[in-house]
Amino acid sequence: MAHLYYCNRHFCAAHFIRMFDKRFRKTVRKFSMLRKGDRVAVGLSGGKDSTVLLHSLAELKKDLPFELVAITIDEGIRGYRERTLRIAKEECKKLGVEHVVYRFDKEAGKTLDKLVKNTNTKRGAGCGKESCDLPCSQCGVLRRYLLNKGAREVGATKLAMGHNLDDMAQTVMMNIMRNEPSRLARLNEPMVKNARFVTRIRPLMLTPEKENAIYAYLKGIELEHVECPYAHFAFRSHVRKMLNETEERYPGTKFKIVNSFLDMEGALHSHYSKGVKLAECESCGEPAAKDGICMYCRMITSSGAGNRTGGRGKTGKAR
Amino acid sequence: MELIVDDEKRKLQYSGSVSSLLKKLGVMREEVIVKVNGKLAPETAEVGAKDKVEVIKVVFGG
Repeated sequence: MAHLYYCNRHFCAAHFIRMFDKRFRKTVRKFSMLRKGDRVAVGLSGGKDSTVLLHSLAELKKDLPFELVAITIDEGIRGYRERTLRIAKEECKKLGVEHVVYRFDKEAGKTLDKLVKNTNTKRGAGCGKESCDLPCSQCGVLRRYLLNKGAREVGATKLAMGHNLDDMAQTVMMNIMRNEPSRLARLNEPMVKNARFVTRIRPLMLTPEKENAIYAYLKGIELEHVECPYAHFAFRSHVRKMLNETEERYPGTKFKIVNSFLDMEGALHSHYSKGVKLAECESCGEPAAKDGICMYCRMITSSGAGNRTGGRGKTGKAR
Repeated sequence: MELIVDDEKRKLQYSGSVSSLLKKLGVMREEVIVKVNGKLAPETAEVGAKDKVEVIKVVFGG
């Protein structure tokens, strides 16, 4: 059914599922990701990785006492997000998991499509320059901010992200190639502990992306075969292609990259966290790196959005 | 052989491994799963004239 080149082994369906589940639990245990009594918010996009994560955590919950809630961030990307949002809602309903949706237009005043339009970056037109990363940069900042804020608002003690081995390897390589090792230092842990940061966990971080797809297929989890229309803007697309080509030629490369990073992580964190202080954003009160204004507030102010609502999200309903 | 790639059907004269077929199509094995006659198959599987092969892209940006 599946041949895993990095360990040169064939698996039938039953043994693949067993291997996948065992590795998931081992990762959670090895990195002490969950504790008894945790309330885990899953960042659920409705894509294969976060949906597999939701299913795997729902399964694990049968053996460990923790709570589960799903948070979806709806960026309002036309032709893309509505398709995965449907899957997110259906899977939560199927599993009986509380589901909260945060929308860019409600929280930040505009959808990503409108935010990008303001910055004159056209859909479907990659210019090859670093500035063309802009949609992904904006989306990333807003999404992370809302996920953290949402996780706090639902009372989560942990925020589970669906980042897989491929994502991790790409992030490591991107930060090295851009000479930004300090970003690696805070990949798994913030530089400075702050009560407003909900601890992030990545139980799928040692699972290759393709294996998430195989697992989803075998478990009957719906897959939406759609790509974010802004994805080709991103430097990450280039790094993904490069890593996949290398992995084909040298199986196991992605594991080696991520394991190298995990070996170095402690030293990087220790080095780059010295003297780092966090301010409080003058606008929203969230942690800010400098100048008292956080990146989220800077972005929505500079884009001319600035129409934000308060209030609490309700189960299964958009804020 | 009946071949489906990105939901497009076509006939192809081919006999050999799925792995070699993917190389011939210019598709990276890290980004797809392959079904042969309706079932998931490893890239080491051999396919020929009587088979129906579906190449499904599963790795996307976003």
